[in-house]
Amino acid sequence: MITKTIMCPKCKNTLTVQGNPGEKVHITCPSCNIKGVFTFPIDESISRVVHDSFALEIKDLTKKYKELIAVNNLSFNVRKGEIFGLLGPNGAGKSTTIKAILGLIHTNSGEIKINGFDIIKKGIEARASVGYLPERVAFYDNLTPLQTMNFLSELWGVDKSVSKPLIKEVGLEDAINRKVGTFSKGMVQLLGVAQVMIGKPPVYILDEPMGGLDARWVKIIREKIKMLNKQGATILFSSHILSEVENLCHRVAIINRGKLIAEDTVANLNKYLRIKPRLEISISGLNGRVPEVIKNIEGIEAVNANDDTLFITCESYVKSHIITSLQNSGLKIDNIKTIEPSLEDAFVKLIEGGA
Amino acid sequence: MVGFNFKSVYTIAKKEFMDNIRSRWIIAISIIFIILTIVSSYVAGGQGEFGGMEATVATLLSISALLIPLIAIMLGFSTIAGEAEKGALYVVLSYPVRRVEVLLGKFLGLGSVLALTPLIGFGLGGIVIAATVGAEEGLAYLAFIGLSILLGVMYLSAVICISALCSTRVRAIAGGVILFFWAMIYGLIVMSIYIASGGSYEDFLSPSGLSSLPDWFWTSVVFSPNDTNQMAVMQAFGLKQAFGFQIEAPDWINMPFLLTVQLIWLLVPLFLAYFFFKRRDI
Repeated sequence: MITKTIMCPKCKNTLTVQGNPGEKVHITCPSCNIKGVFTFPIDESISRVVHDSFALEIKDLTKKYKELIAVNNLSFNVRKGEIFGLLGPNGAGKSTTIKAILGLIHTNSGEIKINGFDIIKKGIEARASVGYLPERVAFYDNLTPLQTMNFLSELWGVDKSVSKPLIKEVGLEDAINRKVGTFSKGMVQLLGVAQVMIGKPPVYILDEPMGGLDARWVKIIREKIKMLNKQGATILFSSHILSEVENLCHRVAIINRGKLIAEDTVANLNKYLRIKPRLEISISGLNGRVPEVIKNIEGIEAVNANDDTLFITCESYVKSHIITSLQNSGLKIDNIKTIEPSLEDAFVKLIEGGA
Repeated sequence: MVGFNFKSVYTIAKKEFMDNIRSRWIIAISIIFIILTIVSSYVAGGQGEFGGMEATVATLLSISALLIPLIAIMLGFSTIAGEAEKGALYVVLSYPVRRVEVLLGKFLGLGSVLALTPLIGFGLGGIVIAATVGAEEGLAYLAFIGLSILLGVMYLSAVICISALCSTRVRAIAGGVILFFWAMIYGLIVMSIYIASGGSYEDFLSPSGLSSLPDWFWTSVVFSPNDTNQMAVMQAFGLKQAFGFQIEAPDWINMPFLLTVQLIWLLVPLFLAYFFFKRRDI
């Protein structure tokens, strides 16, 4: 049972209600009689207990290539229905991890489950629940997209009538009878996205799906990821470009040199690292001088002045205090920009800290 | 429990056939092969004073001994190493299929492309021979077509094994080249050992010289799929000499023996290929 205090959106009257997580209650405001529905939030700790089945389970994964330890005792889980980002600089072990998940490479140790199926003991069932887009995808030069998709559908064990709609879905219908050997990199990648959806598996693993593609293709692929997730699919994708991940993923794991450095939501990662937002304030006539009034404000980490722009790194709660102080001292503020901490900052901090 | 899905094998085989039958290199070399067989069937078979059946077979044999291994190697060298390097294999192996199914599918699919060339070439050549020399040796000729396909399939099995073992396409090409020249290198090695151990070229020119050849010399033939195959063809036609060389072998080198050796040449590399492919990191 949860107790919540809610506020009427119209008359601002407050009311206390009780209910179970996920329960919906119909409320009538006692003072202005407006009707509304309130849904009790699902408690995080409860949902974690309920989520005993994961889409992907990676436990103690280690892969050595001769002297090099590509993946070092890596463990993480991907929950059903989430978009999970696997982040790390080039050569961090992302592709190796993904290939190990699919059983394409042999591991030195570790246990991997896709949709509950062990990739070694139940390889066929595990692979039947996952669509995979490799980092360097290629097909057969002498076959057309339609022949390629027909072949792959048949290999998956579904009727080849799915081929045409999927080719259409990624926008390759104009090239449906051209040989794949004549395709551009972006077109091959789109065919790669089309084949991922054969058989409508519940889990998708995309290795650098947007790597090296121009903005138009990136947009199509982002939309496909969102769409699949909306339909209930779980998606794991890797990237070394943070902006790709930030607005798309529910959670991310950051790996470097084959080791897990962090695994959390983007927001929590920022909080955990306590990366402070930055203020960029344009003041005419500043001339690279830091105003006296803000020098003694507590909560400011760093101040920099460059020509007419002031750069301040500070705690969130002092932002308004800084601005009022500046205005009260008679300075004319032309523009204010707040730069929220990005994953890039978290990334740099984590890797520097870990190295 | 280890399962096996014949449908996956068939699907892979069909794809390999469709993909490779359209390959420009394979088409080009097959056309060369077909033209050569038809022309030589006419020239060698049609001109009475020039040869008849013996010369025809010897000529066709030298064409197939050169070109069929070449086609097999071209078809197979990149089938695993190349596809792994390019990325097509990643997709296929992430599907609900077993590696053994992929390997067998590749072998059967490439094998059918390979079989097509001698079937067309020697088939058309056979019509020319039947029209010029006559059709008396029809059965032996059919056996010859079958043995030519067998030769190609042996090479295919070996080159797939090389492709499964080699980590890169370039290494697989190098392996393919060595395999191609193996028949020649091997013949030279055996010959030089024989000459070094007191033998002479003269021994190959008469039946009596031939019977003086030591047993190890005849046994050594099993290490060359090419020689084994050629001896089987000679025996199918009942030929005792070719281009002036005596080739009659001791009695124990008979058809069952030669076929068994070729079957081993077919199966052992295929098993090894499976072993390499299974433990390969893609």
